[in-house]
Amino acid sequence: MENTIDNVRAQMRKGLLEYCILSILDKREAYASVIIDELKSVGMIVVEGTLYPLLIRLKNQGLLAYRWEESTQGPPRKYYVLTDQGREQLGQMDTAWNELVESIQTLKK
Amino acid sequence: MKKVLNISLANRTFTLEEDAYTRLREYLDHFRARLGATADGPNSQNAEVMEDLESRIAELFTQEVGTDGRVVRLDLVERVTRQLGMPDGAPESDAHTGGSSYSSSSSSTSYSGTPNPKRMYRDCDNRRLAGVCSGLSIYLDIDVVVTRILMLIAAFFFTAGFWIYIICWIAIPEALTPAQKCEMHGLPVTAENMARFSRTQNF
Repeated sequence: MENTIDNVRAQMRKGLLEYCILSILDKREAYASVIIDELKSVGMIVVEGTLYPLLIRLKNQGLLAYRWEESTQGPPRKYYVLTDQGREQLGQMDTAWNELVESIQTLKK
Repeated sequence: MKKVLNISLANRTFTLEEDAYTRLREYLDHFRARLGATADGPNSQNAEVMEDLESRIAELFTQEVGTDGRVVRLDLVERVTRQLGMPDGAPESDAHTGGSSYSSSSSSTSYSGTPNPKRMYRDCDNRRLAGVCSGLSIYLDIDVVVTRILMLIAAFFFTAGFWIYIICWIAIPEALTPAQKCEMHGLPVTAENMARFSRTQNF
């Protein structure tokens, strides 16, 4: 039973991960570790590996762009930014999310 | 005392102890295999993901050992790989068995399940006359003696056998290059396989 609940949770998180990434980048541009830290702090991801394929996919869909920035400690960092298309997508996701929450609340009444 | 290896990750040099290097390599292979199994995107996308992953590993290594030539040990690699995990979020122990069985099953299917299409060639390395029987035996995967005897019987008792042989001689190309020899044996045309045939050719 616990396993199925874990599974459901993982599925929900997975589905919302893109939304989360876009939301984080809407506030400010960030490089992968910052995105990871934020997602970890709210318990959205367990391991970092899940994030990289997603970032690249979003970038290839044109929702994100990136630029390189030299870092004083360690290798140059890839800063991800939201594109206009990404911002638009995020707006639509916001609407969809609000609708979902409303639907659930209506059902539970 | 341990042997160390210098590697480059995201354009930076790191010195790894040998077991740490082996582990890191294994992890990257697992990650790549998982990526190939789960990703819907093309391979170029996977290359980009690996690039991002490697620069993250470089970053984590730098945080731990700095840039002044300290050595990366196995426990650090273990810690980093645990932190990074697999692309689908499953534990790596799954990838250990799942990943290796995935790769072994895929390699075994490429040999036995869906073999590379064989092409018929005359086998000039192992010929009596023009290599028709030998090529035929490789193509049909039977012993060369069987095809030779059948061909001889056909040639003696029915003259048609003789003409069949002549026609095959003309119609079937000879396997001259190592690549053609790979095709003849139904092996994927890789550098490794080609080297095998160019070596036998030299004997």
